[in-house]
Amino acid sequence: MSATGPAIAVAGATKIYRRYAREAHGTLKSALLSRRRTVRGEGGVVALDEVGFTVAPGESLGVIGANGSGKSTLLKLLAGIVQPTRGSVAVRGRLAALLELGAGFHPEISGRDNIEITGLLLGLTKKQIAARFDDVVRFAGVEEFLDAPVKTYSSGMAVRLGFAIAAHSDPDVLLVDEVLAVGDEAFAHRALEKFSEFERAGKTLVFVSHDLGLVAERCRRALWLDHGRLEADGPAGEVVARYRERVATDEGQRRAGDAGAGGRIGSGVATVEVVRLLDGEGRPVGRLRSGQAAFVEMVVRAPDALSDFAFGIQIATVAGTVVFGTNTALEGLQAERFAGDARVVVEIPALDLAPGVYTLDAAVHARDGAPYDYRRDVLRFEVTADRAGTGVWSPARRWSFSGGIRWRP
Amino acid sequence: MREYPTGSRARVPLGPRNETEIVTFLQPLRRTWAQRALVAALVRRELAARYRGGALGFLWSFLNPLLLLLVYATVFRFVFAPRADVRPYALFLFGGVLVWGFVSAALIDAVETFRSNGPLLRKTTVAPEVFPAAAVGARLVHLVLALPVLAAAIVFAVVRGRVTLGPAVLEFPIVLALLALTLFGAALAVSALSVHFGDVRDIVANLLTLTFFLTPVLYPGDAVPERWRWLLRANPFACFFSGVHDTLFDFRPVPASGWLWMAGTAMVALAVGGAVFERLRDTLAEEA
Repeated sequence: MSATGPAIAVAGATKIYRRYAREAHGTLKSALLSRRRTVRGEGGVVALDEVGFTVAPGESLGVIGANGSGKSTLLKLLAGIVQPTRGSVAVRGRLAALLELGAGFHPEISGRDNIEITGLLLGLTKKQIAARFDDVVRFAGVEEFLDAPVKTYSSGMAVRLGFAIAAHSDPDVLLVDEVLAVGDEAFAHRALEKFSEFERAGKTLVFVSHDLGLVAERCRRALWLDHGRLEADGPAGEVVARYRERVATDEGQRRAGDAGAGGRIGSGVATVEVVRLLDGEGRPVGRLRSGQAAFVEMVVRAPDALSDFAFGIQIATVAGTVVFGTNTALEGLQAERFAGDARVVVEIPALDLAPGVYTLDAAVHARDGAPYDYRRDVLRFEVTADRAGTGVWSPARRWSFSGGIRWRP
Repeated sequence: MREYPTGSRARVPLGPRNETEIVTFLQPLRRTWAQRALVAALVRRELAARYRGGALGFLWSFLNPLLLLLVYATVFRFVFAPRADVRPYALFLFGGVLVWGFVSAALIDAVETFRSNGPLLRKTTVAPEVFPAAAVGARLVHLVLALPVLAAAIVFAVVRGRVTLGPAVLEFPIVLALLALTLFGAALAVSALSVHFGDVRDIVANLLTLTFFLTPVLYPGDAVPERWRWLLRANPFACFFSGVHDTLFDFRPVPASGWLWMAGTAMVALAVGGAVFERLRDTLAEEA
């Protein structure tokens, strides 16, 4: 074992799952009676296709990609839970896999006993478990429940305990699959702190997540898997940006294919006919630069005159987090009369959104909110920026420094 | 270059297997041994989970054999008179029935073990052989917990002058150990096969029912007519039950041939079970 070799080396790794695992030779009887030998690997599902990369010790690697792109299979290969159909996977050093926190917990036995078993599962000795026991319990915050069966724990407690045990198993390589999605904010924060600790200690971290912002922020490098193939491998910020671009493009094509497929509810007393996003020059666009001016234009129609009406828009992330929403009633406009065809324009002088893909809802509704025509996800747009950041807000900003800080030109 | 703690699931999966590794069927045994602390913990977990919540707790371990003993004593004293001349018949039955309970429960549990431990298998890097080992281990502990009842029955019979105790009773733990090894070999095979084949459970259950009557449990081995003896020899469990009867009922030392049969059976079971398991091992996490 050389001190400078990679912590993880994957070469030409291919994983093919048999499509009909059970039907192929469902019963022992039929397998014994039939003379034909089933040929393995034929007609299977290719979960990973010739994937190769190496990870240096101390590197943190994010893995992104759509559902079913092979992320979890890759982690299982790295963990040694499944074996590659072809190619090789090598991991150096002690490994801990957080594929599902608390996977080893037995609901009927106490937290204390579960800590011991989980520790043993992670390859610790009984002595090591005893030495770390108090730290684990403190990290998880389950002191008072140690002797209660785990089935009485809240899901948050169980997750914390599962994470605490794995985090204290002192691995050289830590594989993490989307586990931060389950805990609360405080737990996620502590978990991230723990990851930073790992990094400082020169441990290798492989991190699968749908949270692109987190990957861009936490990882220096990222892999993008697409249908089992390695689509990109490079600096996390770049890979994430390219991935976002692809998602936006695909989304745009999907939209073009079936226009107006977004949800639409309402009585139909008035309707939203057309919704467009315009840039500062009034050109319809699907992509905007962060901080630029934008216009949302609605063509609306009320066949019969109305006195109770309001127009609204709402912007949300693709994941569904509402970024901003308002309507004319909230803005304090008093409705008087709306009849026939009309045009509504909302001007946003500076669209200070973080890079990413957003959805737009547009609606005409009664002042009490009862919808006449509410069009959910009526269009999507992408926001781009030169500078990366996390979250959804990307305000105009300026840094200043004084004293002994210098930057390269 | 893969350097996992000994006994963990992964091994170097690069190309053809290293021929200098120890014989493959020994691998599952080696890994189980390396993980014995985990096996012990899983056994404890199994027992704790089973008895938690029941007011009688571990008393159930005693109660079930006690009830069995009562039923056998009553039925075979007042209802059926056994043809074979073994007295007291209830005591004769008791040891065999207890041990047979171990055999059948261990194998049935082994069939189920990967299903019930699916999450562990799919989501952790545990060495899978610990599960059949723990299934057999838990049932072995059950049996050991019931032994005081059997001991009490023997003492009772001795006090009443029905049997004469001999030092051969001390050979019973060796018989039990060899049986447990045999069952571990069988458990390795059936647990791995049941992941791939839906009917293993039924096959095992039916074979057990059949084998029960082909095994000297209800009758002593030497009561079988000579022309049917080959059936007993073909039955891998028969030699162990002759051993049980020798050590727990007749209190005579197990003959050398008996030891040979038992040791041979255990070795064959471990070799075959280990080989089957090793062959299917890599696919367990995918298919369980």
